[in-house]
Amino acid sequence: MNRTLPQSILLYTTLVVVICILLFPVYWMVITSLAPSNALRSFPPQFWPQNPQWQTYTNLIFNTDMPRWLMNSALVAVVATGISMLVSVLAAYSLSRYTMKGGEAVGLFILMSKMLPATMLIIPLFGIFRNLGLMGSLWSLIIAHATAIVPFATWMLKGYFDSIPQELEQAAQVDGCTPWGALFRVILPVSAPGLAATALYGFVLSWADYLYARTFLANAAGNWTANVGIATFKGEYQTDWNVIMAASLLAALPIMIAYLFLQRYLVGGLTAGAGK
Amino acid sequence: MSELSQSRTAVAAPRRSSGLFGIDLASPKHANKLGYLLLAPAALLILAILVYPMLLAIDISFHDVKFATLSFGASEYTLANYQKLFSSPDFWNAIRVTGQLLLVVTTISMAVGMGTALLVNQQFRGRSFARMLIALPWAIPEVVAVVTWVWILDASFGVLNWILIKIGLVGGPVSWFSSPGTAFSAVTMVMVWKGYPFISIMILAGLQSIPEEYYQAAKVDGANVFQRFFWVTIPCIAPVLGVTLILTVLWVFRDFSIIYVLTGGGPVGATETLAIMTYEEAFNFFRMGYASSIGVVTLIICAVISAFLVKKTSHAIY
Amino acid sequence: MQKTMIASAALTLLLATTSLAQAETLKFLTWQLTEDTYGPWWEAVIAKFEETHPGDTVEATQIARQDFADTMMTQFAGGSPPDIVHLASFEYQPFAANGWLEDLGPWIEKAGLDLDGWAGQNLCTWEATTRCINLQYFAYIMGVNTALLEEAGLDVPKGWDEFIAAARALTKDVDGDGITDIYGTGLHLASGNNYINDMLNFVLDAGGSWTTPDGKPAFDTPEMVVAIDHWATLIREGLVPADTTGGDARQLFVEGKVAMRIENPGLAGVIETSASEEMKPNLTLVASPFDPPVGGASAIIGIPSEIPDERKQKVWDFIAIATSPEMQELFSEIVGAPAPRPGSVTEAVLASTPEYGLVVEAMEKAAAAGVDRVPVGLETHYNELASIVREEIQRMIIENRTAEDTAAVLQERVSALQ
Repeated sequence: MNRTLPQSILLYTTLVVVICILLFPVYWMVITSLAPSNALRSFPPQFWPQNPQWQTYTNLIFNTDMPRWLMNSALVAVVATGISMLVSVLAAYSLSRYTMKGGEAVGLFILMSKMLPATMLIIPLFGIFRNLGLMGSLWSLIIAHATAIVPFATWMLKGYFDSIPQELEQAAQVDGCTPWGALFRVILPVSAPGLAATALYGFVLSWADYLYARTFLANAAGNWTANVGIATFKGEYQTDWNVIMAASLLAALPIMIAYLFLQRYLVGGLTAGAGK
Repeated sequence: MSELSQSRTAVAAPRRSSGLFGIDLASPKHANKLGYLLLAPAALLILAILVYPMLLAIDISFHDVKFATLSFGASEYTLANYQKLFSSPDFWNAIRVTGQLLLVVTTISMAVGMGTALLVNQQFRGRSFARMLIALPWAIPEVVAVVTWVWILDASFGVLNWILIKIGLVGGPVSWFSSPGTAFSAVTMVMVWKGYPFISIMILAGLQSIPEEYYQAAKVDGANVFQRFFWVTIPCIAPVLGVTLILTVLWVFRDFSIIYVLTGGGPVGATETLAIMTYEEAFNFFRMGYASSIGVVTLIICAVISAFLVKKTSHAIY
Repeated sequence: MQKTMIASAALTLLLATTSLAQAETLKFLTWQLTEDTYGPWWEAVIAKFEETHPGDTVEATQIARQDFADTMMTQFAGGSPPDIVHLASFEYQPFAANGWLEDLGPWIEKAGLDLDGWAGQNLCTWEATTRCINLQYFAYIMGVNTALLEEAGLDVPKGWDEFIAAARALTKDVDGDGITDIYGTGLHLASGNNYINDMLNFVLDAGGSWTTPDGKPAFDTPEMVVAIDHWATLIREGLVPADTTGGDARQLFVEGKVAMRIENPGLAGVIETSASEEMKPNLTLVASPFDPPVGGASAIIGIPSEIPDERKQKVWDFIAIATSPEMQELFSEIVGAPAPRPGSVTEAVLASTPEYGLVVEAMEKAAAAGVDRVPVGLETHYNELASIVREEIQRMIIENRTAEDTAAVLQERVSALQ
């Protein structure tokens, strides 16, 4: 596309202004996290740290349970995403390739699951996990997250599979592949962008959870996730915004990095999944 | 939306497969069995972790209990919770607030999402970097985002008040959470900030699936940039817009942590949505039965709205 | 001293008889573990328990105060309560009402624990049975920034008139940018029941109370109207930072941005640990300007009714240690306020801490006036009471209503709770 110089200037100016406004909160997190705690509540605010306090970060990493909480978050997110991907791939393939009674209802049902207020489910879920003996274990969180991911993931992947011509696996089966073989050796490799997008979505969903984690893991501090841990930094009597912001950035960083690498798949994967 | 409203017809059964459990699943007769088998794990998970608790919650809503028990029909069934709910001014206030929030947040975040998507859909150097930055707030966990905003909006020491005063937009510091109007604006602002990136990503996905030839053809026909937007872009991404709209609406409806942390539903109920009311009744005032009845009503309203939207948007496709 | 020894001996004997039971882990949720004052005390209690119960351990977990009641509620409702029940005195009632707390009467009798004169213990009586043991009894004192007072040429205020005059004089926009930099005082204005805890200062000062002694709401009394007016005045005139929690207000006081803060005696510990070296000399504790000061039970300990009997025995042992003379003395020393057990403030502690006399005096005043934060007749509705009062005061300020109107609406809404 050819653009005149004024048009280019207009475009870049708009971009810079829009990004500055939209990302100001992120910038402010960084600035606050580096400020000394006694300089936070004074005016004029410092927009650039004169004396960056890196020890806020080193303290968090070496003197608190933050690394452990981050590990737990990562473990839960990876396993929950893995399980839900497996389950969703099978379900989506089934919905995409087979005509079944009630197949239509499944679509609406998936939407239904996005309507349940989480606060309404908390107490019944708590009882269920207790009966299963999973209370306080990371498995309770993994299962709850996987369940939250599966409906949307199935729906995204079904859209993606629908866009793959059936001739592809028919050809493979003529060559002697089983239906499983066709799915794993032909369909999945072709669907890589869709899988990546769905996995990223699941990972973000799991990583961002606070309500479930706080409820199921309250009793087991060793298993806390990053979000639950951060909440304890806001004490009854003390609020050190610099520490909270630093911890928050550490918690947001892994997703930002994952997003950095996978974002191009996200757009591509959603094109098929949602747009079609 | 076509996946939701239209079932696939004419599925050719895969041929030549070895059997599973001794059944030739590839034969047309048994093909559907494999279909059900593949669906089973997802169905089981959803039944156990979503449907069963939901049924329990519905059951609780018909009991006049303060605390939930984990069995059906533990005490006498009654409609008391629903009677109380429909005669409570708080409930109708919550419906009104939820409606307003839905309208305002959805409109603004769709607009911001659309605007940013169109912006980064242009050809320019550093485009993928810009795309990443635009969608960055999506990657920040909600609790973290809200805590950050609480700090930015702090009435006495927040940076936003300082900026607004310096620019001259306000005469003195705004106590964001002390008056109904500003509290509603603050909630709207934070929800839009957390909600627009996903919309932007979805719309961008839609935009990229539009063949360039459509625009060329429209240009040849003499359509200007606005005409092209309304006659090419919008119809082409209508399905994406539909899906995005439904997901956004459901998110605003159910979201709890943003409002709860920012305002707790106040002041004087100005930001008290159904989700907040459910939580307060259940966990602050210990009235599980009543809280569940609010949850059930929320569920029904969500179902009606999404059924309506599904119909509308699938209409737009054909 | 001899009494202490006998009690310890009895305790040891009691523990010896139970140590044969299987080794167990007792779960304990608290909001005080990471606090500079209570944290070390709990650690001492736990260490003592583990020492006397070889093999048994206590797994203590910190839960943020604002999430605490929800968390406990979910744990109990879901059927897996913590073994050692720790709750704020104003939030235990719904748990007791639901039959979730063990009747401690038989345990107390068996152990021969004498609760006569035990501060705040009357609050633990629920439907004529003892459902908990009170662990903290406080009366409020005031922290003042003497540098700011001197700068404004003020003495430490006494009574409402002097207090409001001081608050007005101390609230300042130092650099003229249109934003207040220093506030006269700070209040808990966020949601949560600390809202009415803080407001009670002004209610008691005006001679009012939330309910009559027989448990009927008393919001439409002339005293209450005055109290509501005083409270709203501080907010309307911007003499307090907006929307803060009590914790924020306390921290701002420590940073020198709030000049006066009426608080529980834990303030001393916070000044000690979080104030900068330059700030410390300016921050002084004085008696509350109001008479009687707010006081009352503040945290309780109990046993869940649903756990097995051997486990209950161990939890009781834990409670016995926490309430033992030794630990109660330690509490008085570490926390900076007297523990509920009579006579747990030793001469040494009294001599070593200058504010101690102040705290004891405030407690005696509050106790003599029969003050408690939990209103009679509304015990199980404390959260709702706080939420209603906060909402109506907000309405009063937003819609510019009079204190009389607000008092009348409050009376009506609170009456509907019962």
